[in-house]
Amino acid sequence: MFSAPTKAFLRFVESRKRSISLLCRGSGRKAAAHFSWNRFRLLHTEGFRICAIFVAVFALAMAVLASSVLFIVNEEFRDQIVQFAQADIAAVRDGYRMEGTSEAVEVIGQRMAAPGASDFFLLERGRDRLAGNLAPMPAREGVVALAYPGPDQRHAILGIGAFLAPGLYVFSGSDLFHARLARQRIVATLIWVFAAGLVLAGVGGTLVSRNFLRRTDAIASTCRAIMDGNLKTRIPVRGAQDEMDRLAETINRMLDRIAGLMENLHQVTNDIAHDLRTPVTHLRHRLERARSQAATVQDYEQALEAAIAASDEILALFTALLRIAQIEGGARRSAFAPVELAPLLRHLQDVFGPVAEDSGHSLSIRLEAMATVRGDRDLLVQLFSNLIENAIVHTPGGTAICVVLALTDGRGTVTVSDNGPGVPLEEHANLFRRLYRREASRTRPGYGLGLALVAAIAELHGASIGIDRRTGAGFAIGLSFLVTDNRPPDP
Amino acid sequence: MKILLVEDDAETLEHVTDALAAAGHRVDSATDGLDGLARAMKGDYAALILDRMLPGMEGLEIVKRLRGSGSQTPVLFLTTMSGIGDRVEGLEGGADDYLVKPFAFAELLARVNAMTRRADPQSGRGVPTRLNVGDLEMDLIRRSVQRDGKRIELQAQEFKLLEYLMRNTGRAVTRAMLLENVWNLHFDPRTNIVETHMSRLRAKVDRGFGDEMIHTIRGTGYVLRAD
Repeated sequence: MFSAPTKAFLRFVESRKRSISLLCRGSGRKAAAHFSWNRFRLLHTEGFRICAIFVAVFALAMAVLASSVLFIVNEEFRDQIVQFAQADIAAVRDGYRMEGTSEAVEVIGQRMAAPGASDFFLLERGRDRLAGNLAPMPAREGVVALAYPGPDQRHAILGIGAFLAPGLYVFSGSDLFHARLARQRIVATLIWVFAAGLVLAGVGGTLVSRNFLRRTDAIASTCRAIMDGNLKTRIPVRGAQDEMDRLAETINRMLDRIAGLMENLHQVTNDIAHDLRTPVTHLRHRLERARSQAATVQDYEQALEAAIAASDEILALFTALLRIAQIEGGARRSAFAPVELAPLLRHLQDVFGPVAEDSGHSLSIRLEAMATVRGDRDLLVQLFSNLIENAIVHTPGGTAICVVLALTDGRGTVTVSDNGPGVPLEEHANLFRRLYRREASRTRPGYGLGLALVAAIAELHGASIGIDRRTGAGFAIGLSFLVTDNRPPDP
Repeated sequence: MKILLVEDDAETLEHVTDALAAAGHRVDSATDGLDGLARAMKGDYAALILDRMLPGMEGLEIVKRLRGSGSQTPVLFLTTMSGIGDRVEGLEGGADDYLVKPFAFAELLARVNAMTRRADPQSGRGVPTRLNVGDLEMDLIRRSVQRDGKRIELQAQEFKLLEYLMRNTGRAVTRAMLLENVWNLHFDPRTNIVETHMSRLRAKVDRGFGDEMIHTIRGTGYVLRAD
């Protein structure tokens, strides 16, 4: 089955194998396991898989190519042999017609001597060979294939037999050995090309997969580092602007966003812890004092009332914070519907007008336009209520509060302004922070969440928010909405 | 009243059951949604109090199934405070009222009372055009109010507030119920909206008429009644 040198090579490999496996055993179980894991990983990369598919397609194409080439070569050789034989037979037939059998024998002699002639000839009458180099055979007309008279199986004869006259048979043919030799050479070449292609594809696949693996490993190790608590780690970007870079950049941006949110959360958690400590401490003090000092049932009742009120306040703070978080999450956007701002503001004037009046403020409203926005009515009511309540709570009596609805550059704007003492410029940036309370308002009720909630609701509605930067002229805050419908104000 | 309470938190269940029992109600309870639905379908309850998040079947699903089977038993939803947008969803699903945890028991009792009154077929027969409480009279068509034969001029908001009080005559209404039902406000305001409007209404309805009809209930809210 194998040639002698091949057997020798196999024996050599067999002998080396033992020493290779001995070496492996010496380097330890762990190393061997790692090695196989690595190899396994490389085979399981997308790059390698694509390469394998590519190689399979390549092999299929090669097989189709090889079989067509072999088919064409075979046909070509056969055609050529048959054509030569036809020419031979025609020449012999002409000779026989003109001069008789002797001329036919003459022609055969000439053609056999000519270079590039057919290999085999025969002219026989009955059982007697008159000319040629073939042993007598059963006379058959047309294309005839014969076994080669000899032990070599690679040889075979193809040719044409014909009767010149009844009993006078002529045959001309060639050895198919050349055709078979050419076919073998073509097959050998194709096998080499295929093997080279396979090796190249394997090497390319390994390189591609290794590169791919290196980059996914970088992402994985970054993720592990982040899981281990090193939150500032980012995936290295090579600057090649390829799909891996884009993926890395996207993941990095996501990590930045998460880090930002976590920082925000951290800030809020700290603020809550700080802000809750005071009311919870007060609550505890009150309860302790009641236990040690309360003498009458009425004292206890008062202490309990105060304790319930204090815990309500703490829970309200939580509710407000959760509400902001939910609004920021955008959960309510699916329930948006058209909301007309003018009647909404008119309603708020009806609700808050008497409240403002009772505290010595005045609340006026000016509807310069009608505007319909897409939004959540309850949240918009809360937004404007917050702004109006802010103005009532944070300004002294005698302050005039004015709410204006107008159309500016095609956007619906609602401005809530007052002519109170205003807010110092340097504090403007802090106003929207959660739990931020100006020193001046620390003693008033509220948790410093009003404007943070306003900002969250505005953001949910895609509304921009602005504070009038002029100082000394009270405070004015404006919201600008995209309107879906606007008409002149009702008469 | 016979009330079914479906709540999976054992402590909340115990507290709410105690509070309802102390107010004179009979309470059946279930801790699982499927069990709750089965009891609600079988029993003849005046009201159901359902937690939103329940094992087995969600509160919203229970209400939908109940309404699907034609039951009109009033339902009050209880929910955690993080359930923003749940109110609309719950009411659309067929619930009658909605209460966010944590809540005061007074608030729960007031809402259950108001809810069962609304559902009472005796009170809901036909659309009333007049409301009468003692010598106080409200004409809902002409939007006018009289007490002891004397006409009282009310602002639109005051009229709505009085109408709500008169529709709940003899039953306590809380600040939150007033904010929601009279002014359509679904948040806790920082200014004293309720007190302001209430004092204006009282000045018009009670001042100069001998007996006060609007009473403050400490820790709960208000009640309108003719003594």
